Amino acid sequence: MSKPVLQVKNLHKIYGKKNQNQYHALDHVSFTINEGEFVGIMGPSGAGKTTLLNVISTLDDASEGTIEIAGTNITSMKQNQLADFRSEQLGFIFQDFNLLENLTVYENIALPLSLQGVSSKKIKPNVEKVAQRLGIESILKKYPVTISGGQKQRVAAARALVHEPAMILADEPTGALDSKNAKSLMETIMDLNENHDVSIMLVTHDPLSASYCQRIMFIQDGKLYKEINRNSTREVFHQQILNVLAEFSG
Amino acid sequence: MLFKLSFSSMRKSFKDYLVLLFGLTISIAIFYMFQTLAQNKVFLESNAMISSIVFVFHVGTFILAAITIFYIFYATSFMLSMRQKEMGMYMTLGAKKYKVAQMMFFETFFIGMISLLIGIAIGIGLAEGIASLFMWQLDFSGEGFEAFYLSSIMTTVIFYVILFSLTSIVNAVKVARQSVLELLHADRKHDEVNTKGSRTIIGVFFAIALIAVGYYAMIHIDKLVQFGVILAAITITIGTYLIFISFLPYFIKKLKGIRTLNEKGLNAFTLAQLRFRVMNLTKVLGTVTMLIALGLGALTAGISFYHNIEKQSSMFQTNDVVVHQPSETDEEIIETLNITEQHEYRYKVKKDGVYFLKEDLLNNPPLIREFNPEIKEIPEPKSVATSLPAEKYAWNEDEQMKAMPEGWYTAISTELNTSFYMFGGRDIYIYDKTNFQKIDGKEQHVFTAMIEDFKEALPKLEKIDKGQQEIAASMTGEKPETTGSKYSNYVAIKGFSNGTIFMGFFLGVAFLMMMASVLMFKLLSSANADIQRYDMLRKIGVRRSVLTKSIYRELFLVFLFPAIIGLVHVLVGMQMFSFIIIEPYTKIWIPISIFILIYGIYYVMTVQMYKRIVLPKEE
Ligand SMILES: Nc1ncnc2c1ncn2[C@@H]1O[C@H](COP(=O)(O)OP(=O)(O)O)[C@@H](O)[C@H]1O
Ligand SMILES: [Mg+2]
Repeated sequence: MSKPVLQVKNLHKIYGKKNQNQYHALDHVSFTINEGEFVGIMGPSGAGKTTLLNVISTLDDASEGTIEIAGTNITSMKQNQLADFRSEQLGFIFQDFNLLENLTVYENIALPLSLQGVSSKKIKPNVEKVAQRLGIESILKKYPVTISGGQKQRVAAARALVHEPAMILADEPTGALDSKNAKSLMETIMDLNENHDVSIMLVTHDPLSASYCQRIMFIQDGKLYKEINRNSTREVFHQQILNVLAEFSG
Repeated sequence: MLFKLSFSSMRKSFKDYLVLLFGLTISIAIFYMFQTLAQNKVFLESNAMISSIVFVFHVGTFILAAITIFYIFYATSFMLSMRQKEMGMYMTLGAKKYKVAQMMFFETFFIGMISLLIGIAIGIGLAEGIASLFMWQLDFSGEGFEAFYLSSIMTTVIFYVILFSLTSIVNAVKVARQSVLELLHADRKHDEVNTKGSRTIIGVFFAIALIAVGYYAMIHIDKLVQFGVILAAITITIGTYLIFISFLPYFIKKLKGIRTLNEKGLNAFTLAQLRFRVMNLTKVLGTVTMLIALGLGALTAGISFYHNIEKQSSMFQTNDVVVHQPSETDEEIIETLNITEQHEYRYKVKKDGVYFLKEDLLNNPPLIREFNPEIKEIPEPKSVATSLPAEKYAWNEDEQMKAMPEGWYTAISTELNTSFYMFGGRDIYIYDKTNFQKIDGKEQHVFTAMIEDFKEALPKLEKIDKGQQEIAASMTGEKPETTGSKYSNYVAIKGFSNGTIFMGFFLGVAFLMMMASVLMFKLLSSANADIQRYDMLRKIGVRRSVLTKSIYRELFLVFLFPAIIGLVHVLVGMQMFSFIIIEPYTKIWIPISIFILIYGIYYVMTVQMYKRIVLPKEE
């Protein structure tokens, strides 16, 4: 048994102040992700996926419950500690790329290392290593506007990986990509997970992207409602996912 | 319906509008303040030391108008940047383009008119406040100055109504021209960075050459006169813009090229932001630099004129106090002065002459300042060293007597104040003891002293001077307007300097307030585009304090460059005044501190407002 990288217990999130109409975006959610796992979160729009990811990624605070990442309880941390925690332990990939368009690809990838005070001598080999892993060595000197959406998302992935975080959190990373680019990005992410032991939590509503995961949790109205594991090929898993979704909407 | 929407969204982003309103109001208030002086020819002509002052104010009005036009366009484009996303949204929802454009026109114009009302009110208040502050400081009546000046109000209103109509049209056209997508993604633009080495070198070369010519013209203004002023104005302005166009972007690029610097902490981002600013703000930075030079220049010149009063009045006399035939009240006042050195010289007065006792003079030879028109500094005091071997000397040589040697002549006429005002047409003589005793007449004496702080003693000196006027009256039968004492010189010089000083202060403060707000606006108008960048940095775990520090640093450098170049212009430019001001650099730290204070306040304000826009509120 490998040890857990993420432990969520009884997580509850309420939007809106007391006495006003409150919205329970997460309703007492509990689950665990182990080291080296590749877990997908699926659910219809408005189900609470982004909320879950934001709370786990410490961007938003929980109303109730605890979250432990790599053995650290983040629910009791202060703002600055949270920022440091994010910059050291987490990597992010968002739907809208979130690259700094006034920095080159190289500078974008190097940023997490610079922020941790790594010397520029050590930054270079690290950036080159991840760039190679993601197949973007040739565009390191370019600015984000001059590269394609698929390349941007690879750059975002490289930036999420470069400082070797405990876990990568991805919110609809293929949401803005065409199917060909989406497929190729998912293959890369799966490779990172399988061959480089990166723990990944992926939020998506795209069944094809989700089929690259090992395990999928379905969420609806803020509650976990089903969980399935992949135990044969990706194609079979894809079909299984479609079945769950059909059952869900029916 | 759209107008209702527009109003409600204006109410929502009220704080942002407050920033805009504040900036427009400042501009209008300053423009008005300037006009109260510029249009008041009677005041200008009767209070200025420089005859061409009306010309100077015409040029000033022109420059200020040009700057104001730029400024208003920046300010209103800030408004556009705030609103265009929402306008784009209305259009996606099916609002007609011309409707949305109309709405943009209306909003811009509406804000303009509100700020015009408030601006003129504040302008009147500021003009009154600053004027009375300086008038009080300078002890200057400033007759003819009116803070509420009707023709200036008219000019300001007409100028701004036209200007706001234009900018409103421009904003409306900009909205109408852009596609919906452009409006929606207005905050996601990329800035190319092109800095070719060869172009930079040529640019820098020309910049330095032009500025050098301008500096040369300012230093040799005594020979080049008005041509020099125009030459300097043109070359320095162009040279300054060139520096910001060519050198600064190149410099930042080189700075960013240093890997160890660039890859430290958030530096890559900070420098990228800075590079973006410098590339986009070349014209603004150049303008701000020139405004700093003008504002700080006016202020420094004003303060320099102010200190010049005392210097000019110490130009000839070493003694601060000279009292002929001191009365009892005089003695009492003298008791209270902080005297560093004092002497008494005996003399006798007859109808046709004043006779000084040679021995007294030789025992304590007075200190004199030898006037030399070539030297621009105050001459060092020297005691008269020439001996007086003869028994008698006269002011004017005649058959019986030799003329008194040069130094003694100065000593008696200036240091002992035996001017025409005091003794009328009497001749002045130096007699030795034997001859002095033979003269029939009452023995008198003149008291001379140097004191610690001349300005502090002014009220006391005034009383003494009144007494001296009485004595002069008893000597000449007529009360003179001035006694020729250091005190009376001081009052006279102050009388004709005050108007100039007042204008310098007034304009200096107005320009300084204006320049920094130009920069503030331009920076804030691009802040909306940076929101996403800061949000992303926050997400990947950059501490808020690190982001704040980055903003402080970046904006500090943006503020720093114009300040340094503007300051150098002023330091060299003060040479222009060296032909009417003695030692124009005295106490230059005062205007520089005032400048740093105003500029510093703007810097901190800009950082705070910028932070409010790009960093979400702390929880
Ligand atoms: N900041 C917020 N304030 C109030 N309600 C919110 C906020 N963010 C999200 N919600 C609500 O919470 C629910 C879940 O949102 P989200 O997590 O974004 O869903 P998903 O990502 O699964 O589409 C939605 O109904 C949304 O309206
Ligand atoms: Mg979502």
